Amino acid sequence: MSFAVLIDTTKCIGCRACQVACKQWNNLPAERTAIEGRATGFQNPIALSAKTLTMVTYNEVEDPSAPAGLRWIFAKRQCMHCLEPACASACPVTALHKSKEGPVVYDPKKCMGCRYCVWACPFGVPTADWESLAPKIHKCTMCFERVTQSTGAMELNGKRMSPEEQKIFAESMNKPACVKACTTGALKFGERESLIAEAWERIKSSPGKYVPHLYGEKEAGGTSVLYLSSVPFDKLGFRTNLGERSYPYYSKIALEAVSPLAMGLGGVLAAIYLLKRRKAQVASSESGEKE
Amino acid sequence: MRYEIIKKDLFTRTSAILLALMAGGAFAFFARFALGLGEATNLSNNYPWGLWIVFDLVWIALAGGAFVTAGIVYIFMNEDFHPLARPAVWMGFLSYSFVMITLLADLGLPWHFWQLGVQRPEHSAMYEVSWCIALYVTVLALEFAPTVFERFGWDRLRELWRRWSPSYTVLALGLFVFLMSHKIWMAGLALIVFGLVAFLTRDAVKQAGVPIILIIAAVTFSTMHQSSLGSLFLLMPDKLSPLWWSPLIPLLFFLSAVASGIALVMLMDLMISFFFERVYKWNRLAGMGKVLLGALLVYYLLRIGDVVIRGKLSLAFSGKGGALFLIEIIGGGIIPIILLSRAKLRSNHYAIIASVVLALGGVIFNRLNVVLLGMNLPGTMPGGSVGIYYPSMVEWALVISLVAALFFFFSIGAKLLPILPKDEEAH
Repeated sequence: MSFAVLIDTTKCIGCRACQVACKQWNNLPAERTAIEGRATGFQNPIALSAKTLTMVTYNEVEDPSAPAGLRWIFAKRQCMHCLEPACASACPVTALHKSKEGPVVYDPKKCMGCRYCVWACPFGVPTADWESLAPKIHKCTMCFERVTQSTGAMELNGKRMSPEEQKIFAESMNKPACVKACTTGALKFGERESLIAEAWERIKSSPGKYVPHLYGEKEAGGTSVLYLSSVPFDKLGFRTNLGERSYPYYSKIALEAVSPLAMGLGGVLAAIYLLKRRKAQVASSESGEKE
Repeated sequence: MRYEIIKKDLFTRTSAILLALMAGGAFAFFARFALGLGEATNLSNNYPWGLWIVFDLVWIALAGGAFVTAGIVYIFMNEDFHPLARPAVWMGFLSYSFVMITLLADLGLPWHFWQLGVQRPEHSAMYEVSWCIALYVTVLALEFAPTVFERFGWDRLRELWRRWSPSYTVLALGLFVFLMSHKIWMAGLALIVFGLVAFLTRDAVKQAGVPIILIIAAVTFSTMHQSSLGSLFLLMPDKLSPLWWSPLIPLLFFLSAVASGIALVMLMDLMISFFFERVYKWNRLAGMGKVLLGALLVYYLLRIGDVVIRGKLSLAFSGKGGALFLIEIIGGGIIPIILLSRAKLRSNHYAIIASVVLALGGVIFNRLNVVLLGMNLPGTMPGGSVGIYYPSMVEWALVISLVAALFFFFSIGAKLLPILPKDEEAH
């Protein structure tokens, strides 16, 4: 069982309630920004940062059926919570790690600030707090503390909750702040396998509404955030050249080889040395005999 | 091998300039911590690594001269390099120490570095490199120690070193294998393998003057971290151009470090003769040139073959990336290989100097391409133009000061300790 979020971009109206909820829950400061206009419309800010862990992108796409032939499509972006994250595999001190519950979480107490995670992430998610004298890494944690909090045995209006009430309460609380704030149901929190099944069900039951592609199901080895879209994902600014292999694949092979190779190399070098020395001894004793 | 202490003034006009540059670097180091990384450098989320990382990768590759020389002299028993064994180790020890200063400046939270000692990441190349370099610096210090004992006549310390440095080395290798594999049985196996190696080569210290296990550890640690520096980029197949990204990048980094290490030791030989006004050893350089030729051939054959076999050669003839690739391969590989290929050319002073400079330039350019120029950075999510990165004054000042510090301390060492071989021909 691992958690995931399904984001249906066809339902998103770009209200950015998720962006605000994220700032509130994570207690993040405001960012001085300007509306860039043109291609990005009211998109604001322009990219993630240490102060903005999620944001809605504004994408103007061609659509002959829309007035003036253009239409806005909105996409909420944040950490993809890869199944095998490049950032966590890069981290030399396990400050970033994939939790068994699904979210990729960060522990600032361990972080040395090497920023290898920022380089390694194929989605450009982790950011460093460059204004700080102790620049920690910032990224979405899928509200790990929210989704794993205990909601059992609570009281409601002075009375113990009934099991039914408790279930409703838990369902409303154990989800990321952005999902809870979503006004249109574009975001859905749940178990990854069942969200994948539901996503494909949506694609099949409304022919023509979606492109037959569930972004995140296979990208970079699979992610715990999944996207549905009515247009190909590159039109929404998603990276589509990531492949289906998990990012740590090659470095895992290389690093597992280190220990055996070190021992093998030690043995080979010793053998070379002993052979060379033997040869030198034989040569010197031969020349000694001749003298 | 007989050594001498350079009898020249400890401080000269050149060392005054070097000290001024070092003062600038000390100020930059202070500014980095007073202002914070964001203020002091031009690094950003789009360019989280910059000049300092390029500099570290370049310098570690060149400082490979220390392990290459040790290996060639004591394991492969090549006499051409023998006079340079001590200067190479001194250069290596200083270089690795200074690289650690850059890393300290580059880390955002360097006071958390001790976490490397308590956390157990599974497949992090950065972790491998950190531990490997830390252990290698101790091995370099042990390699260099007898020079100091000899100078001050510390025979008891020398005896302790003779007796205990092999055991320390075996334990360090065992610790390293344990940290990399997380397996007790692997560490046990490593202790047995390296313990056996140390036992079989135990009388080498009498003949070679150094326990061979120390040299084997130097080569092993170096091979592992030089290649793991390449492994750092295995995580970036989407960003690094296929002209540089390859599953073989760890091997390519190692082989290029061997080639540039040899070239650096040759350059060092030339510079020692130049700065200390000693006789140039052109015959020795010609002999080393032959070894450099071999190293360059192996590296560039694999480098070009890898691009061809992965079917990416066509990229070499288009765009900015192609131009960078061709400059790197032709300038750093093909021309020096041609210059070194004939014995007659190897004894030509200009040809040998040009091939050393070009071979070094090729590897330096390779590291620059891998970290910055060959990267196709998508930018922070949702992505977009990343602009261009130029290092800030603070970044430049620190790098320049550390190069100055290398020259300064190398020269001080040569004037206080028996590091350089006796200049026989001069007398």
